[in-house]
Amino acid sequence: MSALKRFADKIMLLDLFAGLGITFKNMMKKKVTVQYPEERWEPAHRFRGMFRLDEDRCIKCTICAKDCPIDIIYIDWHQEVNPETNKKEKVLDRFDIDVQRCMFCGLCEEGCPTEPKSIWLTTKSYELASYDRWSNLYVDMDELQEWKVRPAYTDEEIA
Amino acid sequence: MPAFLESLRVSLGDTLFYGAVSPAIKILVLLFLGVLPLITYLVLVERKVLGFMQARVGPNRVGPWGLLQPIADVMKLLVKEDTLPRQAVKWAFVLAPCLVVAPAFIILSVIPFGPPAAGEGRLSWFIADVDTGVLFVIALATIGVYGLIIGGWSSNSKFSLMGGLRSAAQMISYEVPQGLSLVVPLMFAGTMSLVGIVEAQSDQGIWFLFKYPPVGLIAFFIYLVAGVAETNRNPFDLPEAESELVAGFHTEYSGMRFALFFLGEYANMIVISAVATTLFLGGWLPPFPHLLPFLSRVPGIIWFVAKLFFFLFVYIWFRGTFPRYRFDQLMDLGWKWMIPLALATIFVTGLVKLLV
Amino acid sequence: MNEPFAQSFDDGLSDTLLHRSEEMELNFGPQHPATHGVLRLKLKVDGERIIDCYPIIGYLHRGTEKLFELHPFFQNVPHTDRMDYVAAATNNLAYVGAVEKLVGLVVPPRARYIRTILAELQRISSHLLWLATHAIDIGAMTPFFYCFRERELILDLFEEYCGARLTLNCMRPGGMPHDLPVGWVEKCRAFVAAFPSKVDEYEGLLTENRIWKKRTIGVGVLDPETAIDYGVTGPMLRGSGVKWDLRKAMPYEAYAEVEFEVPIGKNGDTYDRYLVRMEEMRQANRIVDQCLDKLPEGPIMAKRPRVMKAGKDAEAYHGIEGPKGEIGFYIVGDGTPNPYRCHVRPPSFINLQSLPELTKGQLIADLVALIGTTDIVLGEVDR
Repeated sequence: MSALKRFADKIMLLDLFAGLGITFKNMMKKKVTVQYPEERWEPAHRFRGMFRLDEDRCIKCTICAKDCPIDIIYIDWHQEVNPETNKKEKVLDRFDIDVQRCMFCGLCEEGCPTEPKSIWLTTKSYELASYDRWSNLYVDMDELQEWKVRPAYTDEEIA
Repeated sequence: MPAFLESLRVSLGDTLFYGAVSPAIKILVLLFLGVLPLITYLVLVERKVLGFMQARVGPNRVGPWGLLQPIADVMKLLVKEDTLPRQAVKWAFVLAPCLVVAPAFIILSVIPFGPPAAGEGRLSWFIADVDTGVLFVIALATIGVYGLIIGGWSSNSKFSLMGGLRSAAQMISYEVPQGLSLVVPLMFAGTMSLVGIVEAQSDQGIWFLFKYPPVGLIAFFIYLVAGVAETNRNPFDLPEAESELVAGFHTEYSGMRFALFFLGEYANMIVISAVATTLFLGGWLPPFPHLLPFLSRVPGIIWFVAKLFFFLFVYIWFRGTFPRYRFDQLMDLGWKWMIPLALATIFVTGLVKLLV
Repeated sequence: MNEPFAQSFDDGLSDTLLHRSEEMELNFGPQHPATHGVLRLKLKVDGERIIDCYPIIGYLHRGTEKLFELHPFFQNVPHTDRMDYVAAATNNLAYVGAVEKLVGLVVPPRARYIRTILAELQRISSHLLWLATHAIDIGAMTPFFYCFRERELILDLFEEYCGARLTLNCMRPGGMPHDLPVGWVEKCRAFVAAFPSKVDEYEGLLTENRIWKKRTIGVGVLDPETAIDYGVTGPMLRGSGVKWDLRKAMPYEAYAEVEFEVPIGKNGDTYDRYLVRMEEMRQANRIVDQCLDKLPEGPIMAKRPRVMKAGKDAEAYHGIEGPKGEIGFYIVGDGTPNPYRCHVRPPSFINLQSLPELTKGQLIADLVALIGTTDIVLGEVDR
């Protein structure tokens, strides 16, 4: 019986019709295209996008610079006496990141010991294209703090 | 017939009118205003339908639903640089695309898009009704092969030549089953003229697809497969597949010449579909003429176009579903399976006609 | 450059006057839509038959093994992502496993289960990409889009877990960096429930299709002895009938505690390898389902020293069953936080060695099918 069925299968081209049926069915289904830029896809909470720095929280421990696998974070700081509290504290001179080479691995964010973190990548920004080489590729301290389009650090995960 | 044409007929006389003016009008309306935009928009339809089958939307940025996309494509191809390989044979290089496109349009001149002239002062829906219509169709389809061979050879490139020869071998091999399968409706109808075949289907009250099942069905199936192979479409598109080594006979062509090859492929698709519609599916006849007589009031060309679109959809459907055959398997299929099957079908048809 | 060819193919006819054809050298260049990366193949063909095939690699060499020596152990995990960029989690897993063996860390159970889930999801994702590219090389266009549609779901799961979709950086020596986010388990279960019907869809399009069968049955037969001689592992080896899967033979992570079957092929041709990989996708789905059920509570990171150092001349090798074969890391320590030497055993590199054997006597049109069935990723071949 199965030999007869296989013969009938071969003659009646049932395998080919099965394939045709699958594509026809998919033709009727909803499409999965996201019409960018009219519809924008929202990344997840933990998405590692472009980073941001918060200088107030930063304790200048340079763990992020040491943890970076490609050594693209450049930190300079010096100690000076704060006139208000009369205590010695660290002042950040330079915090530059070479975005050309950054691979957005997140090790700097993991290494940061402050709570909440002073450098974070969960900014959900992935649109980093620019028209010239120098506007977005080597960012310094001020730019890192001033990213208006990148949201602030948040610890909450939405259920 | 509109008034101005009537007055033209009266002033020029019947012979001149029916000999020169009315074919010119029909060529203008049917071919240049009908088929040519259809070919251009067929490119868009294919991309959209293929996209829908693949769970994505096709082009939809240029104009609503991508309707201006073919215009954008044509403009792009027109302004592209027209390259000519240095060692190429110039006259052959220039002639090849024309040899692919021209036979397709010439065949379309004998295909009946609708019924013949219903009365004295009316025009028929076809340009010419040749008595040996089917032979004319097959002969002209063969000329299309010349275009491929000349195109591949004149490009003076190893890969183009190989691709062109493979393509030509494939087309020639599948000409035989195509011709043989067309003999079956000929035997049913008893006449070679295409209009005559459709009228025979009307007289016998059944489309030749369904006549004496499964003979008509098998002949139709062979014709469809051979037609797909003739036009180098999936699953028989190895000569022009991008992921294979040889990029095909049209590697060296760019700009409008490439566009002509491309359009020639779609024109051939339309030709095969039109011939299949005429011979197997009843041309301009409405379905179920006795059960649903109100359908006869819809003009014949609407039915013809609907059936044509069905075939074009089947072409695109095949492209979206099947992997492609390897070249030797393709030739295997053509020579070892299609031709014996076609011959057997003719034999059985003959027997059936003798006995029934 | 002197590139020797292996023995020529002699069918006994080349000497006769009737069949005098020249052998042509053809470059299946680095830029080609079908080579899945920058692979160059020098082919010696006689008409359509391939007499010999000589792969030339190195177009994607980035010095990864040297990069490993420059940074401490935990900082090297992002570098491992970029080797087999299609299956990053299994690369990560092999590396952190080797580091844990070297330094002597014990991974807590919850971390082991999460690692298993991620590794199996990555296996499904890698096989989906394989199927997509293999099918489109042979000519079937639609499985490409269907496979990528499903792959998007897996990549979304990864994104929710660790923040990236392709270069995951999702494991650390000693455990996992984050715990599973809220709602992840439910999403994963939804995926696991919906996936088998999708595999049925791909199988309906391809497995019984006569054109697919004609293109893949009997093409590129690798017999078991040759496969073992070449050191081929993974679905290529199992397609030839050899029952060897590291998840069963030398279980690691949570594989000893879940039930699954390992599909074995019969003939060693492309069709068998296709069937093996399709079944592996289903079994991986099964493993993820069981792991989600059995997920224990607890810590996700082992107690580890602040600075992980390896003893002088300490060495460790850890191999796991990646989607393409056995991927292994051999690390030698030297008393500092950086490894002294880290050598990778890349499965694609070793599987690629069998390509000349597979292509002998085949037609050029089969070459793309064979490259697809060896499932190579050039990032891994060249490192």
